[in-house]
Amino acid sequence: MAAASCSSVVLQGSLLATVGFSSSSRRLRALAKIELGDVTPHNIKQLKLLNQVVFPVSYNEKFYKDVLEAGELAKIAYYNDVVVGAVCCRVDTSENSRRLYIMTLGCLYAYRRLGVGSVMVKHVLDYVEKKGNFDSIFLHVQVNNEGAIDFYKKFGFEIVETKKYYYKRIEPADAHVLQKTLRTHNPPAAQ
Amino acid sequence: MPSSNPLPPKENALFKRILKCYEHKQYKNGLKFAKQILSNPKYCEHGETLAMKGLTLNCLGRKEEAYEHVRRGLRNDLQSHVCWHVYGLLQRSDKKYDEAIKCYRNALKWDKDNIQILRDLSLLQIQMRDLEGYKDTRYHLFMLRPTQRASWIGFAISYHLLKDHEMALKILDTFRNSPMVFYDYDHSELLLYQNMLIQESGDSEQALKHLDKNIDKICDKITVKETYGKLRLELAQYAEASKVYEQLLHINPENKMYYMKLAEAERHTTPEDTLAMLEHYEHEYPRALAPKRLQLNYATGDKFKQLVDRYLRKGLHKGVPPLFVDLRSLYKDQEKVNIIESLVLGYKDALKAHDHFSDEDKDKPREPASALLWTYYFLAQHYDYLGLTQKALDEIDVAIYHTPTLIELFVTKGRIYKHGGDVQEAYKWLDEAQGLDTADRYINSKCAKYMLRANLIKEAEETCSKFTREGVQAMENLNEMQCMWIQTEAAYAYKRLGKYGEALKKCHEVDRHFSEIIEDQFDFHTYCMRKMTLRSYVGLLRLEDVLRSHPFYFKAAKCAIEVYIRLHDHPLPDPTQTQEIDTGELLTLCLLLNLY
Repeated sequence: MAAASCSSVVLQGSLLATVGFSSSSRRLRALAKIELGDVTPHNIKQLKLLNQVVFPVSYNEKFYKDVLEAGELAKIAYYNDVVVGAVCCRVDTSENSRRLYIMTLGCLYAYRRLGVGSVMVKHVLDYVEKKGNFDSIFLHVQVNNEGAIDFYKKFGFEIVETKKYYYKRIEPADAHVLQKTLRTHNPPAAQ
Repeated sequence: MPSSNPLPPKENALFKRILKCYEHKQYKNGLKFAKQILSNPKYCEHGETLAMKGLTLNCLGRKEEAYEHVRRGLRNDLQSHVCWHVYGLLQRSDKKYDEAIKCYRNALKWDKDNIQILRDLSLLQIQMRDLEGYKDTRYHLFMLRPTQRASWIGFAISYHLLKDHEMALKILDTFRNSPMVFYDYDHSELLLYQNMLIQESGDSEQALKHLDKNIDKICDKITVKETYGKLRLELAQYAEASKVYEQLLHINPENKMYYMKLAEAERHTTPEDTLAMLEHYEHEYPRALAPKRLQLNYATGDKFKQLVDRYLRKGLHKGVPPLFVDLRSLYKDQEKVNIIESLVLGYKDALKAHDHFSDEDKDKPREPASALLWTYYFLAQHYDYLGLTQKALDEIDVAIYHTPTLIELFVTKGRIYKHGGDVQEAYKWLDEAQGLDTADRYINSKCAKYMLRANLIKEAEETCSKFTREGVQAMENLNEMQCMWIQTEAAYAYKRLGKYGEALKKCHEVDRHFSEIIEDQFDFHTYCMRKMTLRSYVGLLRLEDVLRSHPFYFKAAKCAIEVYIRLHDHPLPDPTQTQEIDTGELLTLCLLLNLY
């Protein structure tokens, strides 16, 4: 893995305690428009800026170059026409399976718990369902990022593994692997 | 074709083919036929053929030879209207209109009823605003071709421009009663032009009658209504005027002018009257913005506070980026400024605490998360407008911390620095903004402008090149597109850098655009007459008459004048004495100062 990947719905660890994602605790809010848009050479700097403030790790030029080719697998989220979030995925074919890997999925702090993350995850789930050829979706998340873990569990993700020292420059360095199985994996003709 | 030196049939046929080739732009073939005539030693000095050869050469860009041939042709046949006409056309193509007019007049001496020459002459006369001459020529054309529509129209316009409204109207009336008129869109335009003429004669009553009589034949219903409203007001028929503007508002409740005219028709005496009227229309057209916004102009004190509170909340809730720009005109009233400020500061605190605009709203649904962002954004612009740079920067920084991805914030931050006098920092923020959306030409242009303010001419050009045609220098392309703001800004940048030659070059480019706009008028003399868009045509003529009063011209001219005065007071050193001066720069200067 070239760059450490990190998927988080919330930013710094210190905020985690206050950010739960139970909808019952949410008070009524005026309707807002949440939309997804393409990443293009014209707005890629907005994505960079967003990732820079949302994630504790930084991504290299190769990451952004690939994102431009990713089509539906990379989207920018707009809240009332303002760029507030983004999701970037890629197809992973290691371990004898075809899996979708969520590299980044994040939203600006001021716009969290408003449904932006859900729109992005649903977009990804819709995508894999439509394609029908993925075994699972997975992602890495810092072990202390409870908000993110709860968030993904809502969509049927489970912790399947914990990787020690996954992150190089941030604490804690361990990461859970969250995975949602889409179909039972049958290794191709391995008798 | 009478000539003092007629050609025999064979050569004459060839000559006719030259004319045809010229009309069909087959210049090479034209030259071939000319050669066939001129190679015959008997006709090698035939004036009209030489003239036509010259005219053809001119079209091929060989100007010097063209003049040589045309002049030689003319000398050989001074009594030929063809030679004079050709000489006129040549001068006209060189924009020497006065000379061209003289040539046409000479041509007419030898062929006084030549329609083509008369038409060409009339075009030059109107272009040069020789209104008397134009009238005479149009009269002549009218007498020669009374069955053509254009003859009548041109004849009428010539009187209109001389402010002889009565005569112009008489001509139009006669024309409209003739069998030449078809009841189509052209006719509708003609009627509106005629109405304009009557209005300009000062007889509003007559104009009203004319409108009443012809209303069925006019297609442009909005203009009819607007004209009715205007005339009723002029004639103090206020009840009728009110009715017209009510109908117009029903068609377009966003037209602010209609509200103002309606207030005039309703004879309001106090701001309260207008306020009440606007309130009525707000209920009548709940989706219209104009009555809500206009109320803010008339309300004061508590009433204003209540109205602007509602207006601001709506804008911030929805996220209307130009909300501040929309309200800025209210800032001439200090009381209103204070009210707006205290309201918006209140929103900020309440939104930060619990996502509502005020504590009283706590039971209502929470505002969208973007409301706080737009509140910061508004406050930053508010403080910036009041000259409170530090406060403005504080607000914009909080806004950027809140939403670091909103491009408008960077633009505003740059603007605050610009207003604060820090052109360097200003351009950096605009550059940042520009990078975030490289498909946005507005921000691209703003960025280029800020770069020029910081004297970064090369960088500005590079920025512009993202939108200019590929394969051409950006500045060249912008010049081609008559993009004057950038040329003026570049001129000022060069001036600040002491590159006076370059600065003058830019100023002269702007001047040339204005000359070109006057030149471009030429095509409309025929086009508008044919299309019968006479109201617009007269409007164009009047615009061209005062063209150089445009602020763009003023700005560029001021720069040029300042540079010339500076050069007069501090002449450049003699180029033969000093070697250090950039010779390119000096050459440009000398060329501009007509020293070479």
